[in-house]
Amino acid sequence: MTAASSQITYQLGIDVGGTFTDLFLWSSAGEVRTFKSLSTPRDPSVGVLDGLGSIARALELELREFARRVTTIVHGTTVTTNATLTRRGARTALLTTPGVRDALEMRRGIREDQYDNRLQNVEPLVPRYLRLPVRGRLDARGAEVEPLELEDVARAAELLTREGVKAVAICFLNAFANPAHEQAAAAELRCRLPGVFVSVSTDVLPAIRFYDRVSTTALDAYVGPVLRDYLGALTERLAGAGFTGSLLIMQSSGGVALPEATARRPAGTLLSGPAAAPRAAAAYSVPAGHTDCLVVDMGGTSFDASLVRGGQVELRAAGDIARLRIALPMLDIVTIGAGGGSLGRVDAGGLLRMGPESAGADPGPACYGRGGDLPTCTDANLVLGYLDPDFFAGGDLRLHPERARAAIERHVAAPLGLEVERAAVGMYRVINANMAHGVREITVKRGLDPREFPMVVAGGAGALHGSAIADELEIPVVLVPPVASVLCAAGMLLTDQQHDFVRSLLGRLSELEPARIAAVVGELCAHGEELLLGARVPADRIDHQVFLDLRYVKQYHEVTVPVGRADLARGDHGPALAAFHREHDRLYGYELSQEGSPVELINVRVRSVGRSDKPVLPRVAAGGHSADHALRRRRRAYVADRDGFEEVPVYDAHALLAGNVVSGPALLERTDTTIVLGASHQARVDDHGTCVVTRRTA
Amino acid sequence: MTDVAIDKVLVSILGRALRAITDEMSLCMERSSRSPILCEARDFVTGLYDAQGRMLEQTENLPILSFSLGPVCQHIAEKFAGDVYPGDVFFHNDVFSFGNQNNDVAAFKPIFVGETLVGWAACKGHQADIGGAVRGGYNPNATEVWQEALRIPAVKVFERGKLRRDVWDLIFANIRLPIVQEDMRAEIGSSTVGERRLRALIEKLGLARFEAHKQALFDSTRRLMEAEIRSIPSGTYRGEATVYFDGRNPGSRHQIRVTITVDDGRIRFDYSDTDRQTDGFVNGTYTSTASATILTFLQMVDPRIPHNHGMVAPIEIVVPEGTLLNAAYPAATTFGNHLCPPNADAIIRALSPVVPERVTAGWNQLLCSLSTGTDPRRKETYVDILFMGLKGGSGATADCDGYDHIGMIDASGGVLDQDYEMFEQMTPHRLVSHEYLVDSAGPGRHRGGLGVETRYVIGSDDTQLVTFGDGDVEPAFGLCGGGDGTLNFIELRYPDGRAVRPATKDHLRGVPAGTLYVQAAGGGGGYGPPEERPAEVVAGEVRDGRVSVEAARGAYRVVVDPQTFALDRAATDRLRAERP
Repeated sequence: MTAASSQITYQLGIDVGGTFTDLFLWSSAGEVRTFKSLSTPRDPSVGVLDGLGSIARALELELREFARRVTTIVHGTTVTTNATLTRRGARTALLTTPGVRDALEMRRGIREDQYDNRLQNVEPLVPRYLRLPVRGRLDARGAEVEPLELEDVARAAELLTREGVKAVAICFLNAFANPAHEQAAAAELRCRLPGVFVSVSTDVLPAIRFYDRVSTTALDAYVGPVLRDYLGALTERLAGAGFTGSLLIMQSSGGVALPEATARRPAGTLLSGPAAAPRAAAAYSVPAGHTDCLVVDMGGTSFDASLVRGGQVELRAAGDIARLRIALPMLDIVTIGAGGGSLGRVDAGGLLRMGPESAGADPGPACYGRGGDLPTCTDANLVLGYLDPDFFAGGDLRLHPERARAAIERHVAAPLGLEVERAAVGMYRVINANMAHGVREITVKRGLDPREFPMVVAGGAGALHGSAIADELEIPVVLVPPVASVLCAAGMLLTDQQHDFVRSLLGRLSELEPARIAAVVGELCAHGEELLLGARVPADRIDHQVFLDLRYVKQYHEVTVPVGRADLARGDHGPALAAFHREHDRLYGYELSQEGSPVELINVRVRSVGRSDKPVLPRVAAGGHSADHALRRRRRAYVADRDGFEEVPVYDAHALLAGNVVSGPALLERTDTTIVLGASHQARVDDHGTCVVTRRTA
Repeated sequence: MTDVAIDKVLVSILGRALRAITDEMSLCMERSSRSPILCEARDFVTGLYDAQGRMLEQTENLPILSFSLGPVCQHIAEKFAGDVYPGDVFFHNDVFSFGNQNNDVAAFKPIFVGETLVGWAACKGHQADIGGAVRGGYNPNATEVWQEALRIPAVKVFERGKLRRDVWDLIFANIRLPIVQEDMRAEIGSSTVGERRLRALIEKLGLARFEAHKQALFDSTRRLMEAEIRSIPSGTYRGEATVYFDGRNPGSRHQIRVTITVDDGRIRFDYSDTDRQTDGFVNGTYTSTASATILTFLQMVDPRIPHNHGMVAPIEIVVPEGTLLNAAYPAATTFGNHLCPPNADAIIRALSPVVPERVTAGWNQLLCSLSTGTDPRRKETYVDILFMGLKGGSGATADCDGYDHIGMIDASGGVLDQDYEMFEQMTPHRLVSHEYLVDSAGPGRHRGGLGVETRYVIGSDDTQLVTFGDGDVEPAFGLCGGGDGTLNFIELRYPDGRAVRPATKDHLRGVPAGTLYVQAAGGGGGYGPPEERPAEVVAGEVRDGRVSVEAARGAYRVVVDPQTFALDRAATDRLRAERP
């Protein structure tokens, strides 16, 4: 081993999906590599360690030596998302002010579709008999009207023990103005029920609006034990393997944070899994000339679609997960149950359906030969000739075509009276239609025309379906980045550490002493600085962005505007006011600067960002127009736009050079995915190795 | 018009794009208005219309307001023909020129592409005050419109982008609360956002392509509605409902009678046999009745149908002037929106024998209160409509329970509770409780939606309380063997110990601080025999406190242990076997 190579260190992005765990490695020498290992849903940290093991083997290092050299791991997880969607979170109770226990379930009395009398309310995360009153009352300004009765907490603790409750949300009326009662109740409860996860509304979301708080806090508690157990197992295993670097967890807001900070606010990870893909997509689409793009990420279990505009995904201040309100910032991403593991079946009415049920990693598709005997999308892709049985997942996993055919024959072809190959075609078409629907959700449903956006395809199964989905939606350009198969994991290393702080400071802007605002800003920045320094971010890489939440007096909702710290320090509110009026007009169609309508400050916000070193996308050597040097063989495969099987040329995608052009029908094989081109498609390789797929003009 | 090839994908994208715009307009209003009636409860609608005033799309938080915007838009387009310019803004509330209710004031903005008028954007919300004799409106003693409100026939308040200060001042000199000016600015802002978005959309598509695809959208929507109507057996069906107490004559009753004719993809609602108008304010307007009719019928067809001109084209509504549902000038009509619940009952009763799988049992009727006074903390006037208190349960359907705490059918879950903490910020009142009301739901194989009980302590002296609504005589009706829901009431418990139940249309002055306000909003009607409801479901609801042990036994014939909430299967089977 040379002196230079012994000093090489690594950063690692790890995306744990329902089927595969994707790993993206970036070395200090500038090398980029991607890996996949099978996920282990019962304890996903096992799959993470398996992945580290296979990287170490590939690098010809001992696991401990490799782990020692990893300085940073950025990790996205779907454990909280899946727990919520499948209702497998912790058994949860709610302690709240007497008289308001039903707010959680009432959801302010909304029925999302006013004309649908069959739309039922959502089952609450906490059943009514576990929503328990605790006496004590604060008024609207936070002054105590009735003292807190800790004996109510004690009584509740007895019931919760009997009921086997594992998590408790605490949310009291008007606690936003004074957290004392909540904190005292939490302390009492933690003392009586050690080991039970306690989530306190003023810790999770210290802001006015009871319903937002109680709903977010209940979600937080519901997924808390799941996340805590998972992060505990993960950090333990990583430490056991010799990892001493920083572990950072992907947040729904698109930033990353330390595990301790993440475990304190589990609800902030409900969109952790897919949150990094859009950033990576933008990193490849912008050099290709597109600042706007659709991003579709099809893994083994789920299909995530998002829309990048101006290089960014919209960050929403609040959102919903399965109609449950969550008042925390999250990226705008649509998820549906469609992936390589999606199960095909014929329903009682005789219709072919794909998903949302998934074979996952265990037992996995029938062709994996791991005990699965139900046909999946991957089985169909194998029958269609899109996958090389001897070279799946880089040859780590041998596929069994005969098992795929048997499963499709038994569960799809026979019930439909079709040949196996035609049944596989049907499965392919149905899942493409499902995914096209997911793309419509984030475009057509919002009044946007998908035909105006190039589509960046990601995930292990994305490239197999991307061109067909694009045809269905008439999307003219499909981009398949070189790291498409692990795009989300790649995006994690493009992400900065980020901590968001908010502090209420009420008053008319003209009457507030500038020194008071500056003091709050200083305090929040210091807090951010401390956290980031603690996470080993060098001081010269730390930035603070300051925002004010402003509104016209008596409005209910605020407009957040960025302000310069220098302006604040000078006490010059002019730029902030001008920005507020401008933003109010942009958002709401009017502004009242001429009327002299007074403006009030509600909150001061600080975002502390620790800029990370980001991988530089490697370039591919330039070549000519011809791709013949990469042609390896021919294989019988289905050509969708001619609706038939043909002998199709198979190219080694790793051998392609920038400028090479391949005309369909063709298969471009990578170790971790296959790009399927129909007869009307043409792919050109750009400088970064992205395959740009377009429809050939006659 | 030039020949434009129709792109079917574009037709559906256009439909969604229009809805995305009206949704954004709605969000503008929700986020920039100031009265809690608007920014908390969402008592407003937004819409886009074509140059002729035909509906393109609407976001109908409160549908009862919605279906008058199109007719008013046509009225404005005709009244101001040749005198409409970019940057104009019109206000309107007049119930005798297609308005639905005096407090519902609309802002309309024309949309131009170049010199061509291409459409209109509108926003209409329930304003906290509109002049008249009673602060906040709802004067139960009114006999003519001037005692209720300032009439605003279509007037231009901005011309070519310039405020007409004289007109503006005249209007707001006659309205008590300054907040109304600000909320009308928010309506203008919402319309401006609609104008910007629709203009950008049309400029992108080109006007000819927009017009052709708009027409294609209307046509396909109309065909969809016609197909829905064709799936109802042809024939003539009659239904009836009673309106109790006109606000002036205790014990008075008035009948709504509807004759529904279904024939060849068209449906006609004829109210000619309805009783004459009252001499009080319990009177409808043509558009409030049309809205009530459309919103009730829309619940019986495919809920995904787009809301545009094509949807309403196959629907005909006949309401003779001088009837309870279309009072003649200059009648008082503020209660008109609230005739929607009994009107819906009449329609449901008419159609339930022919399409029992499409209707619900009866919904809880609205009973509402509005409190105004001076907040002692800030010495400022407040107006609050207690939306959280008025929302009872919906009726069950053949295959689903009713929806708990959804509120009156005129909103169908589009109007929201004020947040409890915002309620205590914006009023001096202190919330005591707001919970599901045990046993309020009409029992049935599918039960009705639960009602709620609300209690708060009044926080200002000399508080004025106005009540308006119904549901204290006749409960939400059960269907096909299901039971009725419970009744509504409001009760005031004064500090001196007196308890007073105001009438359903009442005006109380001088309510002192410290008075406990108690309101029950009843549940919806059940569907199907309660003995057919699975016993374990009933037992679960007993454990959750939605059904009492006694009601489980009495109405559902299910025996549940009062301590452990365990289902006594044997006793239940015995009890259920006693019945034929």
